[in-house]
Amino acid sequence: MTAAHSTVHGAEGHASPARLLRMNRMGLWLFFASDALVFALLLSARFYLDGLHTPPEVKQILGLVMTSILLLSSLTAYRAETAIEHGNIARGRSMLLLTAVMGSVFLAGVVMEWMLAEFSPGDGYGTAFFSMTGMHAGHVASGVLLLLMARRQASAGKFDGGGTRAWGASGIVMYWHFVDVVWVFFYPVLYLIH
Amino acid sequence: MRRDMKLMLAVWVAVTAASLAVSYFVLRTLSFPTPGAAEDGIIDDAFMALTYMATPVFGLVIAVLFVAMLRFRGSGGPEDGAPIRGGGTIPKVWFAVTTVLAVVLIVYPGLTGLIAIRQHAKPDLEITATGSMWQWTVDYPASGVKIAGAKELVLPVNQHIQVNVASKDILHSFWIPAFRQRMDAVPGQTSSIYITPDRIGDPSDAAYRLQCSQLCGVGHAYMAMPVRVVSQDEFKAWLVSQQKTAEAR
Amino acid sequence: MSHSILRAPIVRGLFWAVVGFVLAAALVGGIRTAMGLDFWNTTVDWVIAYPVALLGWLMGVGVWPQWGREWLGGKAEPYALTGWQRYFGFSPDHKVIGIQYAVTFIVLFLLAGLAAMLIRIELAQPGLQLFTSDQYNAAMSFHGITMVAVAVATLLGGFGNYLVPLMIGARDMAFPRLNALSYWLVPPVAILLVIAVGMGGWDSGWTAYPPLSEVNKEGQVLFNLAVITFGVVSILGGINFLVTVTYMRAPGLTWFRLPIFVWGAISASLISFFFTQAFAAALLMVLLDRALGTSFFRASGGGSALLYEHIFWFYSHPAVYVMVLPGFGAALEILSHMSKKPLFAYRWAAGAMLGIVALSGIVWAHHMFTSGMDPALHAPFLVLTELISIPTGLIFLSALGTIWQGKLWLQTPMLFALAFVFNFLLGGVTGIYLADVPTDLHLHDTYFVVAHFHYTIVGGEIFALFAALYYWFPKFTGRMYSERLGKIHFWMMFLGFQLTFIPMFRVGIQGMNRRVADYPAAYGEYNLFISFAAFLLGASFLFFTWNMLASWFRGPAAAANPWRASTLEWQVSSPPPEHNFDEIPVITGDPYGYGGAGPAHNRPLGGLAAGSEGGS
Ligand SMILES: [Cu+2]
Ligand SMILES: [Cu+2]
Repeated sequence: MTAAHSTVHGAEGHASPARLLRMNRMGLWLFFASDALVFALLLSARFYLDGLHTPPEVKQILGLVMTSILLLSSLTAYRAETAIEHGNIARGRSMLLLTAVMGSVFLAGVVMEWMLAEFSPGDGYGTAFFSMTGMHAGHVASGVLLLLMARRQASAGKFDGGGTRAWGASGIVMYWHFVDVVWVFFYPVLYLIH
Repeated sequence: MRRDMKLMLAVWVAVTAASLAVSYFVLRTLSFPTPGAAEDGIIDDAFMALTYMATPVFGLVIAVLFVAMLRFRGSGGPEDGAPIRGGGTIPKVWFAVTTVLAVVLIVYPGLTGLIAIRQHAKPDLEITATGSMWQWTVDYPASGVKIAGAKELVLPVNQHIQVNVASKDILHSFWIPAFRQRMDAVPGQTSSIYITPDRIGDPSDAAYRLQCSQLCGVGHAYMAMPVRVVSQDEFKAWLVSQQKTAEAR
Repeated sequence: MSHSILRAPIVRGLFWAVVGFVLAAALVGGIRTAMGLDFWNTTVDWVIAYPVALLGWLMGVGVWPQWGREWLGGKAEPYALTGWQRYFGFSPDHKVIGIQYAVTFIVLFLLAGLAAMLIRIELAQPGLQLFTSDQYNAAMSFHGITMVAVAVATLLGGFGNYLVPLMIGARDMAFPRLNALSYWLVPPVAILLVIAVGMGGWDSGWTAYPPLSEVNKEGQVLFNLAVITFGVVSILGGINFLVTVTYMRAPGLTWFRLPIFVWGAISASLISFFFTQAFAAALLMVLLDRALGTSFFRASGGGSALLYEHIFWFYSHPAVYVMVLPGFGAALEILSHMSKKPLFAYRWAAGAMLGIVALSGIVWAHHMFTSGMDPALHAPFLVLTELISIPTGLIFLSALGTIWQGKLWLQTPMLFALAFVFNFLLGGVTGIYLADVPTDLHLHDTYFVVAHFHYTIVGGEIFALFAALYYWFPKFTGRMYSERLGKIHFWMMFLGFQLTFIPMFRVGIQGMNRRVADYPAAYGEYNLFISFAAFLLGASFLFFTWNMLASWFRGPAAAANPWRASTLEWQVSSPPPEHNFDEIPVITGDPYGYGGAGPAHNRPLGGLAAGSEGGS
């Protein structure tokens, strides 16, 4: 969503950096709203197909550990963002990497959950479980790639000086929070409801 | 201005009257397929009620278009039209009138028709039509007659029939134009409609055919079969003959 | 020369697409072989290799040098294409993108129209003449989805992209490169659909209802991928419009001074960014059922076919308004400028558009009155659906009030705009029968429905599209079209259209169901008549195509403002300069300053200022 920045055709003809930032934010928020509906549809499909039933076979401990890691990663992502905004690029880089690593651990947890699952994608509950965790994991994976991209951009000096120049990093961190928030809804629905 | 408005009103009344006449004398008698069931009246009446309600709306739009094209011509010259912006009471009145119209047609024929079509007595006969690619299985459970890949659908006249519609594979839809109502055949569920055939009918009339009306692949167009509505005695005799052929097999 | 052709963006894009596809397919094949499965599985290979190919295509066509390098901390290449080459490459210029959309989708329109002609040849008589049943289904499905895409994207993507920045006094869209990326997702959609037809097509229509769409041929997989891709186009485009209009309006251009076409684009964008993903998600679920064996829609695994219908129509009813709202906008715009009269009840019209947006999301199940869904849902959806006639009525008020006492200039665009009013009236009125449960029980899935939605979408939106095409042709190309050919096109299309679709209402009531290659002999005469009328309709586009091509290349030069219109896009040269406005205009009045309020339209740029604020 950083399109408006560096092109002659952009809005920069009559837009201040502050306004460009607001435009980028609005674009990103609209994207979240749009993407959230995909998750909402999957969520509704889960209730439509399975009602309020969760089979006892889901791995509660694994789910809890994964959830904690993901929530913790939002904290490190937040610290990366504030560091970069304040011009502390080195600290921001390491926090971005840490977040990406935690995201990868979460993904490993998802794969483990799939391998341990005692139901197949074809069973009633398996349909919801595999598609919802899968869709979310796809978002986490893209988030990890984006975090690494942000880290690369940080190394290249793109965010030097912080402030509005840090938009590239903070947009990606916002995305990471969004993916986390989705999990906050998915986790109880997939693991806890009886 | 006055004259234009008068002309418009005259055209409005004329077009409305003409379309009412056409609806009443032509559409009502010529459009519908043979009405073969007691419930058809609800549907055909609703159709006509909506048509009658639509005629003044239709007439108004035609009248304004007609008069504007006739009387308010320009040729791209420097002259402008009147600077009317329509911010006053006209839109409010329009809004109120269209709202009333909408509410009226929601109530009648909308909700009243919905209630009427839902009401049904205890059925005299129950049949189950099960769709599969690309044929119908018809089951008369009370008489133990079940015909897979049926070649025709036979129903008794003046009996209140509950038709259960089901599917073995994908979506199909049960529709006999003479009886108006249709119901999709959905795998994993059974849905019912109620029909009371009230006249003898035979498939020389295209309205007497059971037509699958939910796209179901290659055989969709041909997933149809003739429908015969016969007298109750004839129907009993037919059931007996079917029981015999089943035993013979 | 051959060297430069190999460097052309499209060639590069295709090259990297093929490389991506082959590599991914080889990888999938390797893994499958290792697992003891067949090397090639059409479904699995396409589902996995297509996204990789898509990435290769995008990067090759220009995303990588123009944008992608920045993602990895590098520097993007400066934008280099000039002249006609801009249209065949990754260009961030909204005017180039607008023309790219418009031309691409007009070509698709003609292609899908050709499919319609073949369909009418087949249906001219009972029995099978031209097609097998399967080929008929493929032609019908291709016609359906292609026309849906045309209806969704030509006005909004083509005219919206070209005109919205100009109309709001901006130099471009908010996210120009995202805009270019969105457009370049379109060719893969078209290519997928064509390959799907080449593979024998798919037979589930544009609606792709499962379980059929989970058990039919593999053309279905390509259809799903194409529509999901197209969904991304729609969503990104919608977001771009909303941010553009929110933040890039010229100083003084308040929300209620926006030209009504911009309101049409805003309302359509609201729907496309918030609903499109439902269609994509539904088709993704179908792919998951097909490729992974999940059972969203398979009853045997606990799934439900009705779930698909709910999700599908949750988008696909609002989609009708993505098509029609920009049509309302364009038609009202043209009615005002060519009547030389302010748009009547402007605020009510803009409000009505937003009202339609609000209602559009809560009426979807009127498509499911015969689906076997819970009957308790019938009454609420009947009520909500019929309510849509209220805001739609306000659009009619605005149209009729605008032409009343105007100075109607009956050039080709105006004729199309007036025909829009007439056609949409019939389309709207017949929609009421389908929202009424009892009548719908009979009319659902008949030719009555076919006639109804062709009246709303072709009669409404496509007629508005042609009004827009002729009206803005001089602005887009800097040349004037032939009025004579335009009028021939109009009258042939108008008559052909009425004669084709009016009889369909009747044959539908009579009992002819839709989506069939063959039908009872009783409907033969009507169908023969319909087919001949359809050929007249089809032939009208020969005049259209000839007019467009000849005028674009050899037409007389167009003035900056041939219609003496008051909105901003006409206050700059035809075609507009590269950055639209040398100086951003300051707006002090509404865009329809006709009549006593002062001749705002005669003023040079910036003159929308004083004198035209009679409105608000
Ligand atoms: Cu069928
Ligand atoms: Cu709808």
